[in-house]
Amino acid sequence: MKRYGRELSVTASLGALLLLLAVVAPAFFGRQQLLTTLTAAAPVLVVACGMTLVVLTRQIDISVGSQFALCSVAAGLLARAGWPMPAVILAVLAGGALLGAFNGLLVAGLGLPSIVVTLATFVTWRETLRWWREGEFVKDLPDRFQWLGLGQSSGQLFILLAAAAVFALLVYGLRRSAVGRFVYAVGSDREAARLSGIRPEWVTWGTFVTLGALVGVAAVLNAIRFADVDPKTGTGLEMQVVAGVVVGGVAVSGGRGTLWGVLAGVLLLACIAPALVFLKFPPQWEKAIQGAIILVAVAADGSRRARR
Amino acid sequence: MSAMPMRRTWLRSEAFLLAVLVVEIAIFSRTGTQFFSGTNAMEILRLSVEIGLLAVVMTPVVLTGGIDLSVGSLLGLCAVCFGKLWRDGGMPWPAAAGLSLIVGLTAGGLNAALITRLRLPPLIVTLGSLSLFRGLAEALTRGVDNFTGFPPDFLAWGQGYLGGVVPAQAPLWLGVAVGMTLLVHNTVFGRALRAIGHSPEGARHAGIAVERCTAVVYLLSGLAAALAALVYVARVGQAKADAGTGYELLAITAVVLGGTSIFGGTGSVIGTLLGVAALAVLRNGLQLSDQPGELAGILTGALLLVVLTAEVVFKKFSARRRGSSTLPASNSPSNPASS
Repeated sequence: MKRYGRELSVTASLGALLLLLAVVAPAFFGRQQLLTTLTAAAPVLVVACGMTLVVLTRQIDISVGSQFALCSVAAGLLARAGWPMPAVILAVLAGGALLGAFNGLLVAGLGLPSIVVTLATFVTWRETLRWWREGEFVKDLPDRFQWLGLGQSSGQLFILLAAAAVFALLVYGLRRSAVGRFVYAVGSDREAARLSGIRPEWVTWGTFVTLGALVGVAAVLNAIRFADVDPKTGTGLEMQVVAGVVVGGVAVSGGRGTLWGVLAGVLLLACIAPALVFLKFPPQWEKAIQGAIILVAVAADGSRRARR
Repeated sequence: MSAMPMRRTWLRSEAFLLAVLVVEIAIFSRTGTQFFSGTNAMEILRLSVEIGLLAVVMTPVVLTGGIDLSVGSLLGLCAVCFGKLWRDGGMPWPAAAGLSLIVGLTAGGLNAALITRLRLPPLIVTLGSLSLFRGLAEALTRGVDNFTGFPPDFLAWGQGYLGGVVPAQAPLWLGVAVGMTLLVHNTVFGRALRAIGHSPEGARHAGIAVERCTAVVYLLSGLAAALAALVYVARVGQAKADAGTGYELLAITAVVLGGTSIFGGTGSVIGTLLGVAALAVLRNGLQLSDQPGELAGILTGALLLVVLTAEVVFKKFSARRRGSSTLPASNSPSNPASS
C-alpha cells in the first residue's frame, strides 16, 4: 500500500478529475472526444515509457522532442518516396534507435552528464532539421499515410492498440525480465550492480537506444493522425514527457517508479487541456495548471519523506 | 604539487574557450562584413546582456550541484507583469519595474522553498516552475496580449547609448558580472557554494548553513531573471508571454562551456563570461557572414559536445600519466541520502 502510494494518489487525482467531468461535462466522455484525447496522448505515453527506463537508470534525455521531429519528417519523406508503411515504420524505428545510440554512446561510453549531452543534441538535431527543411511541411503524402489508409476510426484504434502493446511489453519486460531488473539495479546503486556482474554502461546505453526506438514509433503514431507532417512537431515534448514521468512517481534519483504510475501521470496531464475546454475555463491556463500539478506532486512526495 | 593540478584544471577550460574565441574572431573578421569593428563589438555586448545576466547568476546555482530551468519562463512572466502593471495598472514605470523585481524574487523564493525545505531535486522543481511561470504569463495575457508603447525614458535603458558609444545596459551588466565574480570567488559564501556542490553532507558537517546558502542562489537567480526581463523589454520595446523562450538552455550552455561542472563543486564566473562571449560572437559572426541562423545552433551544440569530450579525454590521459593511484574520486553525483 505504502510502496505504491504515489501511483495510487496520481490515479486518485485522475479519477477525481474524470468524476468531476462526468458530473459537469458528460460530453467529455463522448466516443469521438474520448478517442481524440486518447490518440493524442498515445504518442506521449510511448515516449514516456522509454523515458521511464532512462530516468530509472538515473539519467535524463531532453532531446526527445528534436528526435521526434526528425523521425516524423523522415516518416513523411519515406512514405512519399513510395516506401510501404511497414517499411517506413521499421526505418523510422531504426533511425530513432540510432539517434538514441548516439546520446547513449556519449553518456555511457564517455561518462558525460546526460543532461548536458542531450541538451546539446536537442539543439543540434532541431537546428539541423530547420536548416535542412527550412520549416517546410511534408505534403502530398500518399493515401496510405494518414490513418495508414484505414480511415479515421480504424486508424485511431490502431494507434491505441499499438501504444497499449508497447506499454504491455515494457511493463512485462521491466518487471519480469532480467534486463528489466538490471535497469532498476543500475539506478539504485550503480556500483553494487557492477559488483554483481551487471555492466552498467551497457544497461544505460541500452535504455537510450530503447528510448530512441520508441520515439521513432511514437513519431509514426503521431504523424499518421494528420494529412501532412509539420517539421515543428514535438516542440516541448521533452517537458510533457518528463512531467508525465515525474508526476507518475518515477524518482529522478533513479531506481524507483513503475510504468503504471507513468500511465496515470501521462493521462492526467493529457486530460487537462480538453478538460479546461469542457469546464469552460480559459485554455491559456493549461501550462500553468500542468506546472502546478508537477510541483504539487513532487511536493507531496517531499513532505511525506520529511515526515518519516 | 597537490594544488597544482587543480589550478591547471581551473585554467584549462578558460584557456580553451579563449582560444575558441580568438579563432572565431579571426575567421569572422575575414568572412563577415563589418564584423571587426568597435560598433559591432558594442552590438554583440548589447545583444548578450540578457543571456549574460541569466548565465552569470546560473553559475552559483550550478556550483551547488543544482540547476534552474525556470529562468527563461520567469523572464517571460516578469516581462508580462511589468507590461501589465504599467499599462493596465497605470503605474509609473519605475514602480512597475520595482514590483517586477519583487515578482522575480518571489518566484525564486518558491523554487528555493521547494528545493531546500522539502529537499526536492532542483531539476524537477524548476521543470515544474518552468511550466508554471510560462503558463501564468500566458494566462495573464490570454496568450495574445502584447504590451508596447513604453515611455522613451524607459526604452533608453535598452536602446540608448552612453556618450553615443556604450550601450546603456552595459554598466548594469558589468556591475552584476563583477559583483558575482567577487561573490563566488572572493567570499566565504562562494567557498560554501563549492563545498555544497562537492558534498552537501560534508558541508553540513563543516558547519555550513547548507539550506540557507542554497536558498540564496535560487533567490538571486529569480532576481536576475526579473532584471533580464526589464532589459529585454527595454531593448525589444515589447512584452509578450513568449519572451525568453529557450533562454534557460542558452544560459546553461554558456555555464557548462565555461567549465563549470554540471555536478557542482568546480567552476568559475570568468569561464561563464567567456562562454557567453563565445556564443554571442558565434551568432553575430555567422549572421554577418550571411550564414543561416540555424548554423549557430548546430555549432553551439557541437561546441558543447567537443568541449565536454575534450575535458574527459584529457582527464583520462593525464590520470594515466600520473598513475591511477592519484586519480581523484570522480565527481559523479553523490546519492542524496533519502533518510
